[in-house]
Amino acid sequence: MKHTDSGSAAAPESGQADATYVFAVCGRGCDPAALAGLSGQAAGTPVRLLPFGSLEAVVQDVPARAFGEETLRERLSDRAELEQCARAHHAVIAAAADTAPTLPLPLATLYRGDERARAALRADEGRFLAVLERIADRVEWGIKVYAGRRRPSTPAPPHQASRPRTPGGRESRAVGSASRPGHAYLERVRGARDEREQRQEAGLAAADAVDRALRKVAVAGRRLRSHDPALNPEHGVQLLNAAYLVDQERAAELMGAIEQLRRSPEHRGIELEVTGPWVPYSFVEGGDPVAGR
Amino acid sequence: MPVGEHAGEVTSWEGPESGAPIGVPLVDLLDRVLATGVVVSGDLVLAIAEVPLVRISLNALLSSVNERVAAPWGNGGPL
Repeated sequence: MKHTDSGSAAAPESGQADATYVFAVCGRGCDPAALAGLSGQAAGTPVRLLPFGSLEAVVQDVPARAFGEETLRERLSDRAELEQCARAHHAVIAAAADTAPTLPLPLATLYRGDERARAALRADEGRFLAVLERIADRVEWGIKVYAGRRRPSTPAPPHQASRPRTPGGRESRAVGSASRPGHAYLERVRGARDEREQRQEAGLAAADAVDRALRKVAVAGRRLRSHDPALNPEHGVQLLNAAYLVDQERAAELMGAIEQLRRSPEHRGIELEVTGPWVPYSFVEGGDPVAGR
Repeated sequence: MPVGEHAGEVTSWEGPESGAPIGVPLVDLLDRVLATGVVVSGDLVLAIAEVPLVRISLNALLSSVNERVAAPWGNGGPL
């Protein structure tokens, strides 16, 4: 464990030395045995603990060459390499989190040797302690809401229903559409547009409703970027991509709330997808605390 | 131990309630390991979340429609 001053950081100036890759920061008590079998971001060097202040970092010596800015840019532009790096990063963090409160650092956080890492981490010790306290005994759940592919089971044929909320352009349609084909066409176009707008509105309202409902169970919530629909062609438009920080003991309650949302008739048109539990990646920097918690 | 008994599920990821495919979904993982995290001060060689580096690879994987919620419907996609 005390790998600190030997070997790895021996020749930082040469550019050939190892760099110190930092996966996470843990409260003291992380079990080194849990990290023993992990290959991390480099073959042949152990994933180990680096004490600093009252905490420990989960680190590994990695060849500086493979993590130089240019090389890294190239590697991470390759989907397979990016995936490999991300999964290796996650595997170490998940293993550490299994044994101690763990605060994940971003992918590819690197220092030129242990001493530099230690000094930098130490400067942030206060903040790390605050975050560790905040995420202790809590996990993150990811919730994504998609507009359902299927139409709601009360379909609105373009000619009727679902128009009362949209202003303008409707009054005349019942009267003249049959006799004036051009007019009827315009009416149909307008009708389709109105309908789409209503579906958008309804979708966003549903996403907000889901968000509100889940925040009742969560300590904090955070909206992430929505995914490009091209990433998930089997799904409809993504209406919500959110993460919630939830007390571990309230997991069942959260699942209950999700089940209720899924069954609720007013949310029939949307699909909910759950991922988790995650180490609280999304709450290292905050998220919006739920009032009163 | 904040993750406790759940941590194993994160790695194997087949909780029946998750409805997720086996293995942590890559896009969701990238949401987390790239877009978030603390930025550590000091002698940082590289912190991806704060460096344009990511955008190269991420553009192919994640398209940010951040704070422009209406954007997905630009093409009149299904709802």
